[in-house]
Amino acid sequence: MLLHVDQVTAGYRSGPDILQGLSLDIEENRTYCIIGPNGAGKSTLLKVIGGLLTARSGSIRFRDEEVTGLRPDQLLGRGVCFVPQDPSLFPKMTVRQNLVMGAFLEDDKSVVRSRIEEAFGLFPVLAEKANQAAGTLSGGQQQMLLMGRALMIKPTMMMIDEPSLGLAPQAADQIFETIAGLSDLGITTLLVEQSVERGLNVSDWAFVLDLGQKRFEGPSDEILEDPRIGELYMGKAPRIE
Amino acid sequence: MIQILILGLLLGGVYALMASGLTLLFGVMRIVNLAHGALMVVAAYVSFFLFTELGIDPFLSLVVTMPTMFLVGVVVYRWLFTRLEGTDRYSEMTVLLTFGLALVIEGLLGYFFTGIFRSTSPGYATNSFIVGDLFIPRGQLYGSLTSLALILGLWLFLNFTKTGYAIQALTQNRTAAQIVGVNVRRVSTLSFGIGMALAGAAGSLLSYLFTFFPGQHWQWIALLLSLIVLGGLGSLAGAVVGSLLLAVLAAFVSNWLGSTWSPMTFYLALFIILLVRPQGLFGEKETV
Amino acid sequence: MIQSEAPDHAPLEVRPRETRRSRTVFGLILLAVLILLPLSRPLIGGPFNYVMQIVTIALMWITLATSWNLIGGYAGYISLGNNVFFGIGGYVGGTLLVYQGWSPFLTAPLAGLLGMAVGVIVGLITLRTRGPAFIIATIALLLMASLVFDNWDLVGGANGLSLPLPDWPRQWVRVPFYSAMALTALASVLLSWKVAHSKLGLGLRALAQDETKAEVLGINTRRYKIIAYALSAALPAVAGSIWGYFLTYLRPSVFFTISIAAQMVLMAIIGGRGTVAGPVLGAVLLVGVNEVSVAQFGSSELNIVVTGAILLIVLLFFPLGIVGSLRSRRRLPGFLDWD
Repeated sequence: MLLHVDQVTAGYRSGPDILQGLSLDIEENRTYCIIGPNGAGKSTLLKVIGGLLTARSGSIRFRDEEVTGLRPDQLLGRGVCFVPQDPSLFPKMTVRQNLVMGAFLEDDKSVVRSRIEEAFGLFPVLAEKANQAAGTLSGGQQQMLLMGRALMIKPTMMMIDEPSLGLAPQAADQIFETIAGLSDLGITTLLVEQSVERGLNVSDWAFVLDLGQKRFEGPSDEILEDPRIGELYMGKAPRIE
Repeated sequence: MIQILILGLLLGGVYALMASGLTLLFGVMRIVNLAHGALMVVAAYVSFFLFTELGIDPFLSLVVTMPTMFLVGVVVYRWLFTRLEGTDRYSEMTVLLTFGLALVIEGLLGYFFTGIFRSTSPGYATNSFIVGDLFIPRGQLYGSLTSLALILGLWLFLNFTKTGYAIQALTQNRTAAQIVGVNVRRVSTLSFGIGMALAGAAGSLLSYLFTFFPGQHWQWIALLLSLIVLGGLGSLAGAVVGSLLLAVLAAFVSNWLGSTWSPMTFYLALFIILLVRPQGLFGEKETV
Repeated sequence: MIQSEAPDHAPLEVRPRETRRSRTVFGLILLAVLILLPLSRPLIGGPFNYVMQIVTIALMWITLATSWNLIGGYAGYISLGNNVFFGIGGYVGGTLLVYQGWSPFLTAPLAGLLGMAVGVIVGLITLRTRGPAFIIATIALLLMASLVFDNWDLVGGANGLSLPLPDWPRQWVRVPFYSAMALTALASVLLSWKVAHSKLGLGLRALAQDETKAEVLGINTRRYKIIAYALSAALPAVAGSIWGYFLTYLRPSVFFTISIAAQMVLMAIIGGRGTVAGPVLGAVLLVGVNEVSVAQFGSSELNIVVTGAILLIVLLFFPLGIVGSLRSRRRLPGFLDWD
């Protein structure tokens, strides 16, 4: 078991608990999708695992090591990488510089360079715009840069929060193709996605969250078909007979 | 005319040094350091006493003031500012905090050193180079060159070292910096120290360029804050350009209307820039 | 991202009857004391003038702190030079007295309007951006005013202007000032209360928490900020014109110093920023402390140190101030709960 989340509670500043005793397990080399209505705590969960938010109680174990409360840079060292929802590029740096920053913790310059080449291989459009300021890229290109940057550290586990948000369908498709290919690179992916069908289509397993707890889990294709969940969490309009 | 331009530019160089520390602190940590002027005056006193008691030249005293202020910065940041990390209304709290700090410093300085106007007086403070028709005051020239050298050093640090990159990253996008592994607290503390060190250097230069006294720091801080708003909060280039520009302007104003009114240049410039381009010359429009 | 917080006060909560009653009783007692104080000369005897003076000073600071709270507490926009309006009011009242012979008591409302107008203009320019630029602008404004008034011959420059003494019987000379200041202070507190319970107050609180979100919710943040700032400018101006007359002289150093600004801020913060009772409490406390310390130690640089040190301590350990901290622990006595 790669990641074990045990009864975690968490919230923002002095506010109420958003996560209310959430537990789940992640196995290596699979792609997971987290879905649920607004306010369920999906982004909060990723932030807690990723060290941007501290859990108020409960524990998180990565590779059987207690990692609750570690900072993002410490988690990166252990191979956990986070692509948040809010745009987190360095807008005034070039595409190349952003990628270099992605490998911030890597000291060996030749390694960094070769990884940049790999990223360019994966996302050719980034190679084209290598010296352009990141802030000038389109939404889809920025998302690709974010993923490319995340890959620079050769993560074991990658957490992605709403990758398709604000993207045109075509750009979103490209992103999801890339996500689908992550497990081939040996990366375990934890995805939060509002566009439920897309998210479930690229993942193996799904967690359904509501009110800060895990309600259901199961193979993605089964979850996709389950009508009950469909009504409750996917906002499918009730059928008018 | 050229004479005034030269005087303005020379002074502007020193202002740029003062403003650079201030804008760095804002850029990296979103802190408006109202105590910056007070800390400069502290450094000025240090240089003063080194000069009067030990005969150490103000430029040499940089070797003392800069590291000392760096350490002061690190300690202050650790003790005071880290407590406020993550609280609501962080920017309000930090402003009030630096305000309180400025008051305490001013009071202590006044208590120990009284309000007597001081100034160090090394030889070069009062003579000038003569180039053609122009007077180039030696003291201002040395001060300006030192300032520019320090700013250049800062620029090189920011653009050619890993830590410098981390600082830039932190300035551009805090969350992004975190997720690529920048140790935010360590880099913030370091930046604060650097900002303070720059204030320290500025203070040493101040000691012979101007007469100083404890209560003077409010004029300095109002001036410097106006400068960084003009240049764009957080922008080093903006601080430099803004300083040079306004110093030259102020020199002309001083020439035409008398030196009492030259501070007005900065204040008016502040209001004008807020009217015309609130994000400053090099700043970016705030996005929702 | 969900951002929610334990509220530090809920202005629209219906208060339990005991709170409302003890609050009303307290308010009535205070009102009675205020009204009866001038008549208590036979009771107090000798120190009457001193008592009048100190209460007048306290009332003035109550006005200053309460009005600062409108922009600094409710809206969260720290104005570090709000006493600039205090000075403008003082000079308006004093100058009109000297050159036109009009009593500052009559021109005080005019001073208030003028202060408000300046506030609106400044606000229009400086409230277009977020916090930092505004704060910086308020400091610049204060220094600008200081510079201008120091060099303006019409109003006597740095030496100031001497105001004619009112020719009332010496026994009662303090009373009109007292009454005027009491009215102003009362008006400030009532205004503060009204704002807190209005849509304006709600909007201000929202933008203090998160301005972007408030805008997204459709709140016209710029308008609200400007209104708050204008109101926070009007009242000090009124107080200023009364104060100048009380002192019988105008001088830039009386009105335009940073330490006055610092005191205003400190009072509101110690008492409880963003509450109605907080600034009042803070003002009364600090005036008392000042009196004691000046009597003991004499006025000196240490005063500034102490002001700054108290500010730091309160910020770091009691950021909600007295009223705020008590309320968050649910220990706020009814008579202090004016929200």
